[in-house]
Amino acid sequence: MLIYTLRRILTMIPILFLVSIVVFTLALAMPGDALSGQINPADSSPEYIEEMREELGLNDPVYVQYGRWISDIVQWDFGRSFTHRMDVTELIGTRLPNTILLSVMSLVITYILAFFMGRYAGRNPYTKGDYTIQGVNYLMLAIPSFVAALFAIFIFAFQLGWFPATGSVGSGLETGSLAYWGSKLYHTFLPALVLGMLVTASYTQFLRNDIIESAQKDYVRTARAKGTSENEIYNKHILRNSIIPIVTLFGFDIASIIGGAVIIETIFSYRGIGELLVSSISNRDSAVTMAIFLMLSIATLLGNLLADLLYGIIDPRIRME
Amino acid sequence: MEAAEEVKLEKKAKKQSPWSIARRKLWHNKLAMISLTFLVVITAMAYMAPWITGYDPGRVDIMSRNLQPGEGHLLGTDSSGRDIWTLLMYGARTSLTIGFVATFAVIMIATVIGSTAGYFGGWVDSVLMRFTDFVMNFPFLVFVIVLASIFRDAGIWALIIVLSVLSWTGAARVVRSKVMSEKENEYVMAATSIGGTPFKVIRKHILPNVMTTIIVQATLLLAVMIVAETALSFLGFGVPSGTPSWGNMMTEARDPNVIRTQWWVWIPPGLAITFTILSINFIGEGIKDAFNPRSAR
Repeated sequence: MLIYTLRRILTMIPILFLVSIVVFTLALAMPGDALSGQINPADSSPEYIEEMREELGLNDPVYVQYGRWISDIVQWDFGRSFTHRMDVTELIGTRLPNTILLSVMSLVITYILAFFMGRYAGRNPYTKGDYTIQGVNYLMLAIPSFVAALFAIFIFAFQLGWFPATGSVGSGLETGSLAYWGSKLYHTFLPALVLGMLVTASYTQFLRNDIIESAQKDYVRTARAKGTSENEIYNKHILRNSIIPIVTLFGFDIASIIGGAVIIETIFSYRGIGELLVSSISNRDSAVTMAIFLMLSIATLLGNLLADLLYGIIDPRIRME
Repeated sequence: MEAAEEVKLEKKAKKQSPWSIARRKLWHNKLAMISLTFLVVITAMAYMAPWITGYDPGRVDIMSRNLQPGEGHLLGTDSSGRDIWTLLMYGARTSLTIGFVATFAVIMIATVIGSTAGYFGGWVDSVLMRFTDFVMNFPFLVFVIVLASIFRDAGIWALIIVLSVLSWTGAARVVRSKVMSEKENEYVMAATSIGGTPFKVIRKHILPNVMTTIIVQATLLLAVMIVAETALSFLGFGVPSGTPSWGNMMTEARDPNVIRTQWWVWIPPGLAITFTILSINFIGEGIKDAFNPRSAR
């Protein structure tokens, strides 16, 4: 396992290098650069603009620019955001905790919901309850997350008034106080629920089918024959086997959450990384865009690596490849 | 008498090709047939929109802004006074066209790459699969947003290209593994031994046997493409804002006030997208089930 892990990590290095090149190339191709947002072309003379470009190194050959960018990043310098007037590292530092809270909460909700719905449907297949869960599942798989988010805001925030419609924290609360954290969790619940919907549906489905299949297996029959109670058979013997494959998918969850967070945060005006990415692209704040784009690409890469490693732990045959 | 019966039996046996079995199974799958009908009706309405509605989707009418559903405007109007019902049909045209064309393009790329890698194996396979893994490693939506913002003004064809270039990887992997297992069969060896070129063997002998997998992948992709287009347009990175599309129609709902007070602006396209995806999913499941020899029905 150790050798397998090391080999997998080593193959990441060239991929990381290629990813950085792709990110850099796309960022160059995007409208706007480090200068265009800072000055107004209408009241700056062309000579001044040219001078500034020279000074910022925007006229250097592409590979020189890339070298400078990557060496800055290695030294943890991601440049400056001109819309927010602060260093990108600092800016991301203020937003990242929100996104992490949203992702963790979404995963927790997903696991809890999928566990109970999947277990119920698997234990009582082809009953009314099972069909209801299946119906909800089909709907959750079909409805795009942004449509679901709008419906969730309309129903739970406006019609029922249970949750706030937008934002990531209430105003006028002292940072770090209990009320502050309570308000944060309260604001995060609805977006987290919508964000986890797709994964919840697929895990519920998976758990249900796996439980139904396992219930026919020999070891279950043996357990029944020796007089184990039905509850114990389902909770101990079957569930333990059925949950393992879901755990291995954790890495892929990270990747799917990253994509989903961009949409969900934007709709809920939730001040996280995804919302920052969308607004930075719209504002042509290239330093921020590049940093987040690189960060999310690496996070996805690590998520996939984690998925592979977890899979290697569960299924030893993978390691031999 | 006996001879006649034999002929009859023979006829029946002849009819039982995998395709005809699948067709019959699909025909008896109520959910899939209802979904297919729904999709056909929606598509027909989308392309016949000018004959169904009298309104011009692009016409801005200051006098009738934000009207509630009622007489004259079946589903009300949006903030520029455009008729929602009309936009819904013209929007379906854009969203479905992007979905169909992008799916077709993706399937083409995936089939070429997947079958080349699977058939030749060796270093060709290694190179192509490493490349696939590499593209797969990027966060799809983030990548699409960045690419779409580069080609923002280039119209819907640029969007179709961006979507296709980034989403062939999963299907290519599936096609590859299917081609790899299909290649081991004797009929492929027979075809090669009588001098069939790789291209001919793949196209004439292997691909027909991989077709069912490709069709199932296509239905999955169609749903993904439509969702991707609408989500991108909703965020403002998709179809240019002047062109009606289901996603563009919902852009106004990024303002919480619109969500609360003007439900008719965003609920119709939201439901249209959801039901379309739902019906595509049911059709996909129906096809998968129809080609599964183990399933009853």
